[in-house]
Amino acid sequence: MIKDIDFILNGKKVTIKVNPLSRLLDVLRDNLNCKDVKEGCSEGECGACSVLLDDRIVTSCLIPIGAVQNHEIKTSNYVTSTEKGKIIAEAFADGGAVQCGFCIPGMIIAAYDLLSRNSNPTEEEIRLGISGNICRCTGYDLIVSSIRLAVERGGDIWKK
Amino acid sequence: MEKIDCYIPETLQEALEILHREDVIILAGGSDLMVFHKNEPSLIPEFEKSVMIIRNLNELKGIRINSNGECEIGALCTSNEIAESTIVPWHLRQAASRMGAVGLRNSATIGGNIANASPKGDMPGPLYLLDARVKLTSLNGSREMLVSDFIIKFKSIDLKKDELITKIIIPYSERDFDYIFWHKVGTRKSNAISKITVGMALKFAEDEIVKDFRLSATSTGAKTNRNRDVENLLIGSKITEENISRVIEAFDQVISPRAMPVFRRESTKRMIRRFLSQCLLHPESRVIDTYDSYYVPGSPKPVFNI
Ligand SMILES: Cc1cc2nc3c(=O)[nH]c(=O)nc-3n(C[C@H](O)[C@H](O)[C@H](O)COP(=O)(O)OP(=O)(O)OC[C@H]3O[C@@H](n4cnc5c(N)ncnc54)[C@H](O)[C@@H]3O)c2cc1C
Ligand code: FES
Ligand code: FES
Repeated sequence: MIKDIDFILNGKKVTIKVNPLSRLLDVLRDNLNCKDVKEGCSEGECGACSVLLDDRIVTSCLIPIGAVQNHEIKTSNYVTSTEKGKIIAEAFADGGAVQCGFCIPGMIIAAYDLLSRNSNPTEEEIRLGISGNICRCTGYDLIVSSIRLAVERGGDIWKK
Repeated sequence: MEKIDCYIPETLQEALEILHREDVIILAGGSDLMVFHKNEPSLIPEFEKSVMIIRNLNELKGIRINSNGECEIGALCTSNEIAESTIVPWHLRQAASRMGAVGLRNSATIGGNIANASPKGDMPGPLYLLDARVKLTSLNGSREMLVSDFIIKFKSIDLKKDELITKIIIPYSERDFDYIFWHKVGTRKSNAISKITVGMALKFAEDEIVKDFRLSATSTGAKTNRNRDVENLLIGSKITEENISRVIEAFDQVISPRAMPVFRRESTKRMIRRFLSQCLLHPESRVIDTYDSYYVPGSPKPVFNI
């Protein structure tokens, strides 16, 4: 059972012929070459596969591609090419937030989602904002402080 | 093998027509179903029947107050939409705000949480407490019933093959009570399935007499527990040490936790005692806390529009 699914991926309209029950995660990685979207747990717990669906964070392993018909998806590579996303990526690099890097695309999506809803989060709020994203390397502290750094560097940009 | 199809209706009418002619799996947010049917990476999830994806049906979205002053929530509203809405009753906002983590809360729907009928699900507790009803719609019309009747038992609901849950209607809110309580015990703040969750609400009449008292508990048996006989032990009386003990003992007979029964029973007792003994003191804050403040920063603060 193959259907045409149209959606906007990273700012561009795409139409793909797929089984609508395929996971968004697989379609992004296998059909559309978005290897920045990672697969960890495959059941919604780890956040490695996080993307933005209509600008809100979701885990793409839980979403059948058919549900995305006519919606907008953004992955971390696209997010980090935007003005806000660049600030987050640079803060992650400068703040030492990255070790192996596997969780980072999901962390960037989570940070972006958080800062677009809360322009000046407390440490506790940051920890809650990334609590659906598991990192096996860093112990989180440097990720949290890097998100604070992005808040400070971005200033008023987060209010827009 | 029968051919597995996938429908993506764009209107409620279309969805109801599909349900009328075919036996399909209804997929809303997918957060239960996609895990249940998961396959190896890159392989298509394995469903035993055709699937109808309803995630994008606009008729099943939105939250409003109806002409009777009841809160009506579309079956496809997500946990985040519910947690963020200031017109949703407080207990339900608390429950919604503590489901999974932020990404999950953008997928998990209230209709899916009810239909999943898990005794550990977070939303049924507040819905039982506030006498919420589900609206079920088919091509032949609609019917309504209490959520507590709709959920028959563990993983079993009173949904006909051609019906869809379209709405949840909540007649009560925190404004109907003087004191409110909701506490979820999980192993961590996020992505923690409830170990035990208790919700309570109480209203005084004149002279310290209890006018209304409600108590529901999740993860304490095969389904969410609420029992009017237990509540009636207090309604019409004053809160006394003796009455508190009677309520606690009676509720202990109602619940039937299998795993960790001592922990679950003792925690339930303590929460009931804490709530009722605090109500007796008429504290200024209408939200009764557990001993440790349990508010998760960033979760919705209670709103009282009186
Ligand atoms: C990582 C993770 C964490 C979670 N944490 C929690 C938690 O903390 N608390 C909690 O309660 N749950 C939790 N869940 C479970 C799940 O997210 C919820 O039960 C959610 O509300 C299900 O909604 P859905 O729309 O995603 O359901 P779906 O998977 O789409 O459907 C679930 C069931 O409901 C039926 N259904 C859905 N909508 C309708 C409708 N409108 N009419 C008729 N039938 C319908 C489906 O046929 C299916 O049987 C978690 C799940 C994951 C993966
Ligand atoms: S792979 Fe999707 S949340 Fe872990
Ligand atoms: S940096 Fe390795 S998992 Fe987070």
